[in-house]
Amino acid sequence: MFTSQRVLAYVVSLSLATHAVAQDAEGETEAPEGPTSSEAQTPTFSATPQPSDDPAPGDWAAWGRESSASRHSPLDEITPDNVSDLEVAWTYRTGDMPEEGEGKYAPETTPLKVGDNLYLCSAMNIMVSLDARTGEEQWRHDPQVDPGAIPYSASCRGVTYYEVPDAADDELCATRIIEGTLDARLIAVDAQTGELCQEFGDGGTVDLWAGIGEKVPGWYSVTSPPVVVQGVLVTGAQVKDGQAEDAPSGVIRGYDAVTGELEWAWDMGKPNLDGLPPEGETYTRGTPNMWTTASSDEALGYVYLPMGNSSVDYWGGNRSEEENEFSTSLVAIDVNTGEPVWHFQTVHYDVWDYDLGSQPTLVDFPRDDGSTVPAIILPSKQGDIYVLNRETGESLFHVEEVEAPTGGVEPDNLSPTQPSSGYHSLAFPNLEEKDMWGMTPIDQLWCRIQFRRASYKGMYTPPTVGQRFIQYPGYNGGNDWGSTAVDAERGIIIANYNDIPNFNRLIPREEAEERNLRPIYAGGDNTDRESDGPAEGAGDPQVGAPYAIDVNAGWRAPVTGMPCTAPPYGGIRAIDLASGETLWDEPLGTARKNGPFGIPSHMPFKIGTPNNGGPLLTASGLIFIAAATDDLIRAIDTETGEVLWNDVLPAGGQANPITYEADGRQYVVIGAGGHHFMETPIGDYVIAYALPEDGN
Amino acid sequence: MATDNASRSVGGWFLLVFAIILVILGLILAAGGIWLVTLGGSWYYLIAGLGLIISGGLMARDSLTGVWIYFLVLFGTLIWALWEVGFSPWELLPRVFGYIVLGAIVLALLPTLKRRQAAI
Repeated sequence: MFTSQRVLAYVVSLSLATHAVAQDAEGETEAPEGPTSSEAQTPTFSATPQPSDDPAPGDWAAWGRESSASRHSPLDEITPDNVSDLEVAWTYRTGDMPEEGEGKYAPETTPLKVGDNLYLCSAMNIMVSLDARTGEEQWRHDPQVDPGAIPYSASCRGVTYYEVPDAADDELCATRIIEGTLDARLIAVDAQTGELCQEFGDGGTVDLWAGIGEKVPGWYSVTSPPVVVQGVLVTGAQVKDGQAEDAPSGVIRGYDAVTGELEWAWDMGKPNLDGLPPEGETYTRGTPNMWTTASSDEALGYVYLPMGNSSVDYWGGNRSEEENEFSTSLVAIDVNTGEPVWHFQTVHYDVWDYDLGSQPTLVDFPRDDGSTVPAIILPSKQGDIYVLNRETGESLFHVEEVEAPTGGVEPDNLSPTQPSSGYHSLAFPNLEEKDMWGMTPIDQLWCRIQFRRASYKGMYTPPTVGQRFIQYPGYNGGNDWGSTAVDAERGIIIANYNDIPNFNRLIPREEAEERNLRPIYAGGDNTDRESDGPAEGAGDPQVGAPYAIDVNAGWRAPVTGMPCTAPPYGGIRAIDLASGETLWDEPLGTARKNGPFGIPSHMPFKIGTPNNGGPLLTASGLIFIAAATDDLIRAIDTETGEVLWNDVLPAGGQANPITYEADGRQYVVIGAGGHHFMETPIGDYVIAYALPEDGN
Repeated sequence: MATDNASRSVGGWFLLVFAIILVILGLILAAGGIWLVTLGGSWYYLIAGLGLIISGGLMARDSLTGVWIYFLVLFGTLIWALWEVGFSPWELLPRVFGYIVLGAIVLALLPTLKRRQAAI
């Protein structure tokens, strides 16, 4: 499975446990201080560590800054004292806007910064390099993705940077930018010129449809950047939810980052299959997939995959044993073998679309005796945050199996218990009638009646047909793809979250047929139906299951469009890393852009809006985050939660920001691209903030 | 009707229209409130709705008692809202804001009402 080049690259064996330690010990062979890892493993260490494993202090070399995904930068020029002086340093526009209206755009783009350049992708996968100081475009590569390939959203969360070990600096594609596209291709281009890497796959492209089955544009798409671990490029894909049981496979594949050759495939339904399925066959269809971003441990050679749910989401009657085993689990795969080493399940028998959406973060977890454990922090959509030993998958804190409600349409299949983290939960107490809301007593009364009519047994209320069921928290979390950030020095986790229910109903097959709910392969595009708005699951056919699904995401009242539950709808919380205790908790987002009948209220009050996108942290004690539906980017004091600065973005800030240094100046950059589902204005902006130059 | 419609001033017409609106709001709250009670929910909306129906009905008949009943509903609503959600501003908003606005209109109509009652 190894190329000889890669074997050479990993000859230096070190028991490095964490990225932080790797940073300190770069180029040295001494063992890190303190008892860290178990002896069972003999981790290998790349002699030429990738920037993504060990970024320069002024860089942001991977989606979560590094492979360990701290979203924490050591930069400290911008401080709580001077952050109010921030001004726009430059604005860049990708030019990638929907043809008509706001379409299904939600770019969610986070750039990388390596050396002097930024690297990013637009909503439709146009790859761009910018001068980090000026925002001037260096090159662009447009892979010409057809709009028909847009799945739930046109999103490209980011690209991947890779340096070919031992390649000459002037060799084309010695450093390369790799992206996964909406039409399911991996594309590698030269980081300096944007030219396709001819040696990668077929002229720079690898077709991910190989082995998946009939090609249905928009059903199988990559929206998150692949990760490189020990020279293996690992990717999953988004499989558009709710279409059919017989859906594209959730197979995870590892490719040689240099040649694009398939190294391995992890198909949970065919554990002995290692490459492509035999001619005429496909990877096991309908299996849990990974649509979000993985994190990785270069020393261990493990990639950590936050897996989603099986197809279809809201009915599980014909799921296989393997699907029930791995669905909505964090799976650690050894990239040397392509086999799972351990896995940890966060929902048993998931019939709520509680996909793991967050990229987990690797940390040296502090223990009471002063030692550290190589750990991984895993947030979930239900709000539970788990801390696991990343070598073994064992939880460092008690995980209780709590009795779960029963009933609904498949009472015999539901799990009698569900896991609950003893470390921390972002979730709030169960809803009560008095939590129902509205603008006036009349819509509040209407929502109270709906509450009393619905089936609600707390978290994991079983799906029901005929009667509405309340899912709380809804499928947007808790924590979602924006993920959490960790300041290991301060010992603080920063987590933004949503606090919103969904109001759901299974639809009998006859009614689904009357409503003409069609799957994507039969020309159905239910996300565009006016009556239900653009929410995922608002009338999805679930072909092959006895029921279709109707999701009222955010449980909004008809006519006014106002939520049936009271604000805040989202918040941001600081959690003590060692104990899991809450340090502070504040609503996130103001009411300025929200109001009844969709009319902006212009109220500057901090109400706590729905949010999508994550935080970044700086060594100077600042959090930068947009995410909320108020179109603001803000700086928050890490220690207190106080908002110290904000600025109005020209479009929704549903993306993770980055910070970097260029020519001695610190920048904060956010992609303001908006989000169709979050109902924020669509844009194509990349905006850089910095302190005034004469002020330093 | 205690008074002749033909003799209504502009203020008098306002009073009548407002009183009818109160009755309609009361009917909506009471009807929904009955439904909520049968589902095992709060009795508040039914009681408040009946209060508004009586209040509006009396005001339409130029009775000052209607004003007293309106403020009884408003006061009761405040107590109930504070009991349910405390001083949480976003949650108090839908519970009491509308009543306060209507209460201000009731006060504004009070001189008209007094004049008309004196004329009975």
